[in-house]
Amino acid sequence: MIPLELYILLASTMFTIGLYGLFTQKNGVKLMMCIELLLNSANINLVAFSAYQPNVNGQVFALFSIALAAAEAGVGFAILIALYRLYGTIDLDNINAMRW
Amino acid sequence: MYADYAYLIVALPVLAFLLCLFVGWHLPRGGGFLTVLATFAGLILSLGIFSEIYPDKIIHQSMPWFANFNVGILIDPLALVMLLMVTFVVTLIHIYANGYMNGDPGAARYFAEAALFTASMLGLIFADNLLQLFIFWELVGLCSYLLIGFWYRKPSAAAAAKKAFLTTRVGDVLFLAGIILLYNNLANLNLALKPGEYLLQFPVIYANLAQIAPDQLTLIALGLLGGAVGKSGQFPLHVWLPDAMEGPTTVSAMIHAATMVTAGVYLVARMFPLFYAAPHGLTVVAAVGAFTALFAATMGLTSFDIKRVLAFSTVSQLGFMMAGLGVGAAVGTLAVGVSIFHLIGHSFFKALLFLCAGSVIHAVNTNDMREMGGVGKYMRWTMYTMLIGSLSLAGFPLFTGYFSKDEIILIAYEYGTLINFLPYIFLVLAAVLTAIYTFRMWFSVFTGKERSDYGKHESPWVMLGPLVILAVFALGFGYVAQDDFYSYLDSNFGHYDLDFVELGVIGGHALEGHVAPAAEGEQGAAAAEGAAGEGEAGAEEGPGEPWYIQILPIIVAIGGILTAAFFYWDKVKKFDPSQVTGDKDPIRKLLLKGYYQHEIMTGWFAETVVYGTALICNTIDIKLVDGWLNWLSALVLGFAQHVRKVQTGIVQNYVTALVLGVVVLVVVITLAKEVGLV
Repeated sequence: MIPLELYILLASTMFTIGLYGLFTQKNGVKLMMCIELLLNSANINLVAFSAYQPNVNGQVFALFSIALAAAEAGVGFAILIALYRLYGTIDLDNINAMRW
Repeated sequence: MYADYAYLIVALPVLAFLLCLFVGWHLPRGGGFLTVLATFAGLILSLGIFSEIYPDKIIHQSMPWFANFNVGILIDPLALVMLLMVTFVVTLIHIYANGYMNGDPGAARYFAEAALFTASMLGLIFADNLLQLFIFWELVGLCSYLLIGFWYRKPSAAAAAKKAFLTTRVGDVLFLAGIILLYNNLANLNLALKPGEYLLQFPVIYANLAQIAPDQLTLIALGLLGGAVGKSGQFPLHVWLPDAMEGPTTVSAMIHAATMVTAGVYLVARMFPLFYAAPHGLTVVAAVGAFTALFAATMGLTSFDIKRVLAFSTVSQLGFMMAGLGVGAAVGTLAVGVSIFHLIGHSFFKALLFLCAGSVIHAVNTNDMREMGGVGKYMRWTMYTMLIGSLSLAGFPLFTGYFSKDEIILIAYEYGTLINFLPYIFLVLAAVLTAIYTFRMWFSVFTGKERSDYGKHESPWVMLGPLVILAVFALGFGYVAQDDFYSYLDSNFGHYDLDFVELGVIGGHALEGHVAPAAEGEQGAAAAEGAAGEGEAGAEEGPGEPWYIQILPIIVAIGGILTAAFFYWDKVKKFDPSQVTGDKDPIRKLLLKGYYQHEIMTGWFAETVVYGTALICNTIDIKLVDGWLNWLSALVLGFAQHVRKVQTGIVQNYVTALVLGVVVLVVVITLAKEVGLV
């Protein structure tokens, strides 16, 4: 059986990559992808802990989380499409109507 | 049996008010018949109660309300005669209003407000405690405001309504202060109240008056008098009454005859033991009343507006009633009987006079007597009913006003022999003027030549009917009721646990001879009858009254009428008024201008003193109060101008802040765990 530490390592690697992307990327779609990475790293943790501590609660929560991520992606992309129609770009540096 | 339904006397007009208010405009004539029916039912109930409790019982029902207060119904002789008078006169006025207001687009609103007005006045009369009385008192004030401003699109009517409301408010504040002071004093006595007894109930007040300090009693009496002065239009708060003519004539009749202005006199009569016990309390009442009687009568002499003449006459007659109560210092509770008798009689003939004036105005379409003249040729019924009212007001022998007003003058003489002649002199002069201005009005409206082209027709019978009924009462009431009335009202305070001799000692009236009969009245009907006998003896065949004093009021009335005839009746006219007093005459100008009250109160007092004070307050308000607040908000705004820069609109900045925040939280919590804080 693969040791638990490796799962945690994988999850934290994914989380860090996602975070890095969030900090550096300007493209809206890329940001959405990074957010998916963050969510899924958490899912990996949930599933791994659930498998090592015989209890299905974690896996159920992972399912919820995936459903939530799908809804979030739907809303997020809809916003991005609307933004593109309005501004002709999805480069977030150019979209700053909600600043002071 | 009727007593169990006493509450309906108020509840039915309230019901009529609600019905007229919400569905009135679907009903014929604005639902006026509902108001008439409700008031008429009140009259029937009052008559039923009268038949049950006359002559020696009272009704007292009460239930707890909140804290130390209760709601209750107290019908004693004083309240009973008021109930009968108000329901009777107001029923007739409502019937008349059905004709008078016919076709007015606001008729439903009129009848709703009139019903509420009636309900408030009736509630005021049979309240068993001061707080309840005060609440209805304020409702009466509110309704008078609504009704005086009934034609609210007319600026003068709106102004008059405001004036009435604000002027009476001055008195009401004093009244409330008096109530609070009385409550405090009673609470400080730490009385052992039986279940069902409350501090502000009249029987409790009466029973414990003697224990309150005399100087406090005087303060309380002055506060209550302030309320009465405002409501009953006594000097110096009388200014609203003549202006109250702006409402429909039926409203004037209600306010002046039955419902509103009598409330002040009723209050003083209701609290008579308190005024009696308060040193100088009744002296002030007598002074205010006598002065107002003369003061208003002089202004009635020169006014050209028929309704204003009647209004000044109301102020003057209310002065008579107040003075009648005030001279009670000399004659004891007899004063209540005499004064309330004049109140009742006055309400009959004043309602009659107002409704007659309304009938004339309805036909002629003007209030100005200079444009009338010779109306009698076309309005026979109105002319003769108004003649009866005028004779009654002037105090012509055997008419109602003769019995009531002259009785007040006689007891004022008695007061004079014992204490001070000033009220007597003022009242006699006022009586002369009353006769003169009344007949000046009657002659210039109904006799002579037509001075303008006006509508020449008699009013419909729905208006004339009430006139005839009221005329019968103005003619015969005094003669029929006189004997029993005094004795019945004299027994009023005998139903309560109070001793006028003791109160008289506190108040400084050591006149047991006149006071004792009322105190004996406690023993019931027989004693009350006895008291009546003595009371009449004191008033009519008193040893201190020579024959010339007794017939003086008759001479005064007839003399006044003849004087008016010489000036204003074309058949016997001997003088032209303008020869005696020209337009330049300073006294005439002074009277016509109403002693420059308007100039002094509005011109000088309001515009200089009040406006100046308001200006200073305004400056302080803007510079200091607002200034401080504005400075504070400017500070916050300026700070926010800098802080808002954080909102960059760049997603990465937000993410950074979020992650940094989480990191800081994690670090802090970890450190706290290390140190052992958590």
